[in-house]
Amino acid sequence: MFKKGDLIKISTGGEAKVLSELGSGGQGTVYKVSYNDKEYALKWYHKPGEEKFYKNLKQNIEKGSPAPFFLWPLFLTEKDSNGCFGYLMELRDSAYKEFSDFLLAKVQFSTVSAMIEAGIKICAGFQKLHGKGYSYQDLNDGNFFINPSTGDILICDNDNVSSADENMGILGKCRYMAPEVVRGETMPNPQSDRFSLAIILFLLFFNNHPLEGELISNCPCMTEKHEKKFYGFSPLFIYDPTDNSNRPVRGIHTNVIHLWPEFPQYVRDIFINQFSQKVLQEPGRRISEKEWIENILLRMRHELVKCPSCGNEIFLDTEKNDFRCSDCSFHVDLRVPIIQAGKYKVAVNRDKKIYQYITDSSKQKLYVCTGEIVESKKAPGLFGLKNLTQNVWMLTTKNKNNRPIAPGEVVPLLIGNEIAFGNGSSAKIV
Amino acid sequence: MNTERVKIARKTMVLFFLVDTSGSMSGTKIGSLNDAIRETVPDLKDLSANNPDAAIKIATLQFDTNVHWLYPQPIESEDFVWNDLKVGGLTNLGEALNELNSKLSKEQFLQEAAGSYAPVIILLSDGGPTDNYKDGLENIKKNNWFKYAIKIAIAIGNDADKNVLSEFTGNSEAVIEVHNKSALKAIIKFVSVTSSQVNSKSSGVTDGTKTDTVINGITSYVNTQNMDDVDDDFF
Ligand SMILES: Nc1ncnc2c1ncn2[C@@H]1O[C@H](COP(=O)(O)OP(=O)(O)OP(=O)(O)O)[C@@H](O)[C@H]1O
Ligand SMILES: [Zn+2]
Repeated sequence: MFKKGDLIKISTGGEAKVLSELGSGGQGTVYKVSYNDKEYALKWYHKPGEEKFYKNLKQNIEKGSPAPFFLWPLFLTEKDSNGCFGYLMELRDSAYKEFSDFLLAKVQFSTVSAMIEAGIKICAGFQKLHGKGYSYQDLNDGNFFINPSTGDILICDNDNVSSADENMGILGKCRYMAPEVVRGETMPNPQSDRFSLAIILFLLFFNNHPLEGELISNCPCMTEKHEKKFYGFSPLFIYDPTDNSNRPVRGIHTNVIHLWPEFPQYVRDIFINQFSQKVLQEPGRRISEKEWIENILLRMRHELVKCPSCGNEIFLDTEKNDFRCSDCSFHVDLRVPIIQAGKYKVAVNRDKKIYQYITDSSKQKLYVCTGEIVESKKAPGLFGLKNLTQNVWMLTTKNKNNRPIAPGEVVPLLIGNEIAFGNGSSAKIV
Repeated sequence: MNTERVKIARKTMVLFFLVDTSGSMSGTKIGSLNDAIRETVPDLKDLSANNPDAAIKIATLQFDTNVHWLYPQPIESEDFVWNDLKVGGLTNLGEALNELNSKLSKEQFLQEAAGSYAPVIILLSDGGPTDNYKDGLENIKKNNWFKYAIKIAIAIGNDADKNVLSEFTGNSEAVIEVHNKSALKAIIKFVSVTSSQVNSKSSGVTDGTKTDTVINGITSYVNTQNMDDVDDDFF
């Protein structure tokens, strides 16, 4: 235990000074420290770790963080006389709340949009992590902090992260471990991370574990033998289309019963697919983070609109030519215009942001905002796209008239219009 | 669609305290036990409130010449109030085990709609049974809830019958000796908290069963704390 003012040697030079204790977990205690005039969090392990663990941590620090969402180890301390050590990471901003607080309904997202953004960022984080050749290995509900207003995320506990083919001695947390890991057939790896990721996404949207329905609540005593069965040898999705024996139970699985029908079919379909017996048995069939993002999460981002009558966020069915609000039943024969750019279809809605992957197909930036949808003050109900790039865009109207749209200007989003973004990419309003 | 949610469905884990309140427990022993559990309850409350994996309920059986439950049912740690136990009488462990046995069932103390985890049973005693405990022990060992429970015994002072306590836990390593007030307090707290967290911890490659994990945790805690070293009166 350190007290205020204690100095801790950092392996690459200098000393960190303890300012206060932030909290304690199973493996260690976290302190607020100052190092080179900047404040950090120091995680200090209770037990001397194995040399392998220390080396791995050192390597991860040298390789650097895969994405800004990670509370990545930044500096390693020297070992003390007992062989104990720790590492420095950024301090977490208090606007970020633990994922468990969302699950326990102590915190809720301000908007559905923020919830979707959180899903995108979680996938993007693990995409980057796997892309760098790492595997997370102990992915569970305790690893995330989320800002409920923006959906910004932080991924913590990165000390077990190691090269995809190595292991720091961790198997994972029951209910989050992939079935093949529970069965003891393999050690955690990027493919088993993807199972845990699908569990996290399901929890994020439905606040219910995807394998926990009637079979689980009817199991009076969840012993270790039963855990092996329900999460390893015979897991069954609560909405498995061919076996209804594990359906959610009224009064217990309240959230998912209420929410499942409210999500678009393609969202339900991907979970049905990813938790089908076939995919549960064949890890190779799990979809990648990129597929989650491209095929599911961005589509959710693009199709979310506000109902003009009740103001609730609703998923628009872009295949239909009318609009019916699933919350208040408000109905109009006309559907909103859609910006179609390559494979993406974005429903036009006030304040909606357009990002770089839409206006520039050669870039894949998910968060660089390049345009914002605004409503005309003079003609409410008429929308335009504000050019937030440095390029001049070119508008071609239905009647083949051309007009340049300078940075900061707004291009009207009338059906039939086409916008060239000045970089080879273009969009049609349909 | 909105973002309102209710709390996620959780299984419940009941933490049983079986407390010897025979005459020999009087004085510092029961005093520090009372203090220790009272001080541990807020931690358990916190654990239960912040744990999306398991809700934690508490049940307490005191036994001397008679047996008595503090509450008629296991109770949410949020609502649990520890009233100081009074001591007096014999150590009828057999009767306590029979009573516990009758409650370890889905119809009695473990009737959770969303199901339960295996319970944790902590037995605290400073002596040896004064009744014929063998039958009670034989019977409860046939109860599956008991079989799967994580069982820890805390032997208070030198007169505790550690053989009997080992028979109860089924493992001599799960019997922890304490000889002074601060050790008792520390152990009660550590054992209750560690065993209540067992369903929400990641497991490692070298870990055994949950019981092993808890016992290893407790053993290494005991070994590093040098609890007999303190400047404290011995029981
Ligand atoms: N970077 C950080 N900035 C601010 N607080 C932090 C930071 N990292 C951890 N904490 C806080 O410190 C406490 C202990 O963190 P730690 O990660 O050790 O615990 P844990 O996740 O509960 O346990 P375990 O190590 O068993 O997973 C927690 O309350 C956590 O919120
Ligand atoms: Zn509506």
